[in-house]
Amino acid sequence: MSIGTRLYTLLRGELVGTDSFGNRYYRSKGRRLHGRERRWVLYKGDAEATTVPAEWSAWLHHTAPQPLMERAAQARSWQKEQHPNRTGTPAAYRPSGSQLRTGVHARTDSDYEPWIPE
Amino acid sequence: MPKLTIDGIEVEVEAGLTILQACEKIGIEVPRFCYHERLSIAGNCRMCLVDLERSPKPVVACAMPAADGMIVRTNSEKARKARRGVMEFLLINHPLDCPICDQGGECDLQDQALFYGMDRGRYREARRAVPEKYMGPLIKTYMTRCIHCTRCVRFATEVAGVPEIGAVGRGERMEIITSDNKAFGSELSGNVIDLCPVGALTSGPYSYAARPWELEKTQSIDVLDALGSNIRVDSRGTEVKRVLPRTSEEINEEWISDKTRFAVDGLKRQRIDRPYVRVNGRLRPATWGEAFTAIGRALEGVSGSQIAAIAGDLADCESMLALKDLMEALGSPNLDCRQDGAKLDPSCRAGYLFNSTIAGVLAADACLMIGTNPRIEAPVLNARIRKRWIRAGLPVFQIGPEADLTYPARHIGNDAGLLQAIAGGRHEVAKLLKGVERPMLILGQAALRRPDGAAILALAREIAETLGMMKPDIGWNGFNVLHTAAARVGGLDIGFVPGSGGLDTAGIIAAAGGGEIKVVYLLGADEIDTSGLGSAFVIYQGHHGDAGAHRADVVLPGAAYTEKAATWVNTEGRPQRSNVAVLPPGEAREDWKILRALSEVLGCRLPYDTLRQIAIRLRDVNPIFTETGQVVPAAWGDFGAKGKLDATPFVPAISNFYMTDPISRASVTMAKCTEVFVARRDEERTGTHA
Ligand code: SF4
Ligand code: FES
Repeated sequence: MSIGTRLYTLLRGELVGTDSFGNRYYRSKGRRLHGRERRWVLYKGDAEATTVPAEWSAWLHHTAPQPLMERAAQARSWQKEQHPNRTGTPAAYRPSGSQLRTGVHARTDSDYEPWIPE
Repeated sequence: MPKLTIDGIEVEVEAGLTILQACEKIGIEVPRFCYHERLSIAGNCRMCLVDLERSPKPVVACAMPAADGMIVRTNSEKARKARRGVMEFLLINHPLDCPICDQGGECDLQDQALFYGMDRGRYREARRAVPEKYMGPLIKTYMTRCIHCTRCVRFATEVAGVPEIGAVGRGERMEIITSDNKAFGSELSGNVIDLCPVGALTSGPYSYAARPWELEKTQSIDVLDALGSNIRVDSRGTEVKRVLPRTSEEINEEWISDKTRFAVDGLKRQRIDRPYVRVNGRLRPATWGEAFTAIGRALEGVSGSQIAAIAGDLADCESMLALKDLMEALGSPNLDCRQDGAKLDPSCRAGYLFNSTIAGVLAADACLMIGTNPRIEAPVLNARIRKRWIRAGLPVFQIGPEADLTYPARHIGNDAGLLQAIAGGRHEVAKLLKGVERPMLILGQAALRRPDGAAILALAREIAETLGMMKPDIGWNGFNVLHTAAARVGGLDIGFVPGSGGLDTAGIIAAAGGGEIKVVYLLGADEIDTSGLGSAFVIYQGHHGDAGAHRADVVLPGAAYTEKAATWVNTEGRPQRSNVAVLPPGEAREDWKILRALSEVLGCRLPYDTLRQIAIRLRDVNPIFTETGQVVPAAWGDFGAKGKLDATPFVPAISNFYMTDPISRASVTMAKCTEVFVARRDEERTGTHA
């Protein structure tokens, strides 16, 4: 994060909370922009927007007035855990049939059947 | 000639044309569903409504004859409103399932709803649903989408001549069904898929395979029969997805046979994709270099007369020419392109062509068929003959096995002796043929493949000469040979026949079996008796692992017809070129290139390196190759040889329409058709069905 952001956060920001990834969330003290307070996040490590969990994302985008902590606490059984985008890492998603997953070329529609003499 | 005004443009058209045809003449589009220029007029979709002055109601342009002084508006408020109304009614019962419909993107209803329809529907009531109908393995139905244009019904009755599709019920309850809910048993059945303006009839094998806008379209020609139908090959990536007809007034109009359309899945099975060399009795994968070296070793110390070459039914002219040149360089006179042993005479071109031309059938006044069943051997040609029969009641006489041709034909017997009687004028048919202006005869391969083929050929020539089939003054030549193999005419044109002292197919096989011939080169020749080749060293070049490849000692992977730019000459003598739609699989190469490369290894380099150079060589060998797509009338001459006739009856040239070549034999779709249609025909014949 740039010096400017750091300075601005120090002078104007008020810490609202921290999430499980260690990202810190701020809102502006007093100063309003277009009639509402400013909200921002300082990432832990690389700036990676997919590390913002749903409860914080809603607050950050002014969808919810408060972070949805209680809702997050009562997660439904079908809700998956938040994890950052893994594209580009070894844990990246490989669809079934992907050569990167199995190392072999899976049969596709456009393959032909070669003649194999007996 | 009536003169009328359409949208302010004055136009004079021939009497009898309809308003719609008049509009088309001046390039004004009138939307339509049921009208089709090659079918009769039904006038039941009402989409072509136009505004006619002094007529209280809009009129249907497709059924209203153009008359003098008419003032037609195709785009007035009244016409537009009428069309919008018709479209709204059509869409009442049409499901809006375009996203999951195979017709999407090439659907007349979709397009015309966009241009002529409303932007919303007002219908909130219950809609009609129609149960699916069975039409066989080729046609998939989704009958709720049917808009009752009856194009399919008219096609089946008029063009295919197999009236097995019909409509039951009236109005909203009308349903299209096949008789007895059986498969639609026509060799041209696939054309109803193209004709159906909506997605009610779609292609079974192609279902959900691709969208029209993803496909790469390549104009090409078909080689699965000898007509050379013009086709469009639709491919995606490395795969041919489907084959559609291209309009060609001279050959196929806009129809193609089911084999042409549906055998393409055979292009993905049993493909030879690498060279093989036989080591210790087993074929082992090899590199091109190893394969060529093995051939070189086999040819060491072998004299020219101990080498032979046979070209198969799908071979293109370029590769046959390269093989012929190679054989000449090796000093071998033993080569033959007539792998079925037909006694075709290469010395006179008119003696092996369909001289009347396919379009010329529409001028014929009587037809004598000798040992041929065009319905099986060339279904598209059969549709032409049927068209002539519908228009002018063409009398057809048949010598050979009795067969249902979809139009009445008088079966006069199955005995070659009848030809003598006709040639001598002693048979009543002779008088009937002589009495008309343009009689024609069609000589099939079944008659020529027999041991007495040359005598039958000579007799047919005599019939043509004595019964007035040769009328050069009015430009009529009624002598026609109907081939079954796409390669045959081209092979004869470039002279892929035994040189002086050379052996023909039967001779080659006998000599190879006897050990006099040491090396045999098979260019896609699978329909020969490979077990008779004895201990000869067999080189097979081709694209499918069929009979030839199983017997071979060296297998060279070639390209199929969708994978090479090459020339074929159809049964009329019309040279046509194909284009590369997809690349050959694996290590396979275009066939003439293989021969060119092999010639270098054998130390007799062929003098052409590019397709252009070989095209020039082709032209030098025979000038007919100069003009692609044109028929050059052939000079009449002496052909055939008088001889004794056999008493054996004719046998059909093709027993199973769906499987005639390595591609269709490898096709799953064709296997299904064989199961459904051929079995059914046998059942009907023997009467064993319940
Ligand atoms: S199935 Fe297709 S071609 Fe046949 S009547 Fe219905 S819409 Fe027309
Ligand atoms: S096209 Fe004229 S009524 Fe169908």
